[in-house]
Amino acid sequence: MTITNLPISNLTSKLKNKEITAREVIENYAKNIYEKEKNIKAFINLDIEKALKRAEELDRMDEKKGLLFGVPVAIKDNMNVKNYETTAGSQILKGYISPYNATVVKKLKEENAIIIGKTNMDEFAMGSSNENSSFFPTHNPVNYDYVPGGSSGGSAASVKSEEALAALGSDTGGSVREPAAFCGVVGLKPTYGLVSRYGLIAFSSSLDQIGPLTKNVKDCTIMLNAIAGFDPRDETSVNIKKEDYTDFLGKEIKGKRIGIIKEVMDFNIQDEIKEELKKTISTLVKLGATITEISVAHLKYALPAYYIVAPSEASSNLSRFDGVRYGLTVQGENLTSTYELTRTEGFGEEVKRRILIGTFALSAGYYDAYYLKASKVRKILANEFEKAFEAVDTLLLPTTATTAFKLGEKKSPLEMYMSDIFTIPVNLAGLPAISVPHGSDKNGLPIGMQFIGSWFKEKELLQIAYAVENG
Amino acid sequence: MIDIDKIEKLAALKLKEKEKETILNDLEEIIHYFEILKEVNIENVEPQIYTKEAHLFLRKDETENGLCKEDLEKNKTLARENFYRVKHIIGE
Repeated sequence: MTITNLPISNLTSKLKNKEITAREVIENYAKNIYEKEKNIKAFINLDIEKALKRAEELDRMDEKKGLLFGVPVAIKDNMNVKNYETTAGSQILKGYISPYNATVVKKLKEENAIIIGKTNMDEFAMGSSNENSSFFPTHNPVNYDYVPGGSSGGSAASVKSEEALAALGSDTGGSVREPAAFCGVVGLKPTYGLVSRYGLIAFSSSLDQIGPLTKNVKDCTIMLNAIAGFDPRDETSVNIKKEDYTDFLGKEIKGKRIGIIKEVMDFNIQDEIKEELKKTISTLVKLGATITEISVAHLKYALPAYYIVAPSEASSNLSRFDGVRYGLTVQGENLTSTYELTRTEGFGEEVKRRILIGTFALSAGYYDAYYLKASKVRKILANEFEKAFEAVDTLLLPTTATTAFKLGEKKSPLEMYMSDIFTIPVNLAGLPAISVPHGSDKNGLPIGMQFIGSWFKEKELLQIAYAVENG
Repeated sequence: MIDIDKIEKLAALKLKEKEKETILNDLEEIIHYFEILKEVNIENVEPQIYTKEAHLFLRKDETENGLCKEDLEKNKTLARENFYRVKHIIGE
């Protein structure tokens, strides 16, 4: 038995039966970290000593409880973990020590998970390859020459390389699902409002949602059970009854209605990904699901709408980084110049670019043409999805149009933005979606299939993803 | 079309000339791409700002532990005698 191969439920039951100790678990994961981290660079901050100390505390407990008892979890560096530095991949937050836990972190700790470190990310979650981290890029564990995807690239890489058993990421336009697809792990973006955003550094508040990255669908479901739920500290948190998302796992999917979005085929998709899509459809048919073609006519307008909405919100959210409240300060002659110098030095190029796009889109004379227009396109898209979910239970499409690309390969920002064409519509509509590994291309790079569910239908979504994973 | 100096000022940034030139080129390319939205008919469509309407609610009137001064000390914001140290923000 290799401890780092065990999925969550097996690991926790072995710990609870005292077949292994939490200290052994952390030691085994630490061994992987020492071996692999120099090549992968998934973490910005690691604290193995702290993890070992916590493991020993768990080993001393008489009553060993919690959904994640002894599970080593990695946290994306845009979530506050008390007494850890939280940088969001940016120089502007260097030196900021979190004085509190994000709600998701608090919940993981209540389930007795062990935090192993903070993972690398594109600065302020703006990017699709982790190359926008102001510290260093993360490498794809499948092939070090390739990107792990982004912005939760460190989280995806840490799970793939077994440096952590599970990780949290945040998904504003695909930042959990795209790296999950590129690294060959499972990544879930829950319905907007299902998971508290309290303690998550805001990028685009109407789109951001925290989600788990895991080795398989069952682990993902257990993680969702741990982090979902109403939180009065997040005003967009939705007060719905707590559910057990494992309820439908393993139940047959006969009669489930699966929709294939017609307009997806208008995009340039890598041949091997098209093949995997066909194979997924065959599996679903074999399992008794029915396949229907569905139209989401405005799909191609999602990307431009997103790149107006997200930078607009970011330009406002990131105004709090001014050299006064947190981290870096570059002293100028007066207050205005301190703001300007701090922000210019502290933010990386992509962050500045997006702040400027957002500032432009919201500026007098342009608001109607850009932000307002994009918000209306968003409404049209949401309506189209709503209509689609009258006819089907789940939508199926690839997570990405290509597999992972090489580090340094994509040059222009617009080219990079295109990486998210199939994930962005989900955020604009606030829907839940999951990326599940499904085959690989000729270079051995993983392919991800994406299932989109209706609002708060995570149970059904996970049921179908599980069936396909095991079909 | 884009007045980069004005936008830069509104965003409280001060770009170097070379950086400004590169970013302006990128911005023009990106904003040109947004033109595709002109094809969409938005007549009688209400904007959607949030995905589902947010509801304001009141928290229960119960005391709970908030941030302790010990937690903030790590950020070196506490000076002495429980006073907080903030950066100079008055006077131009």
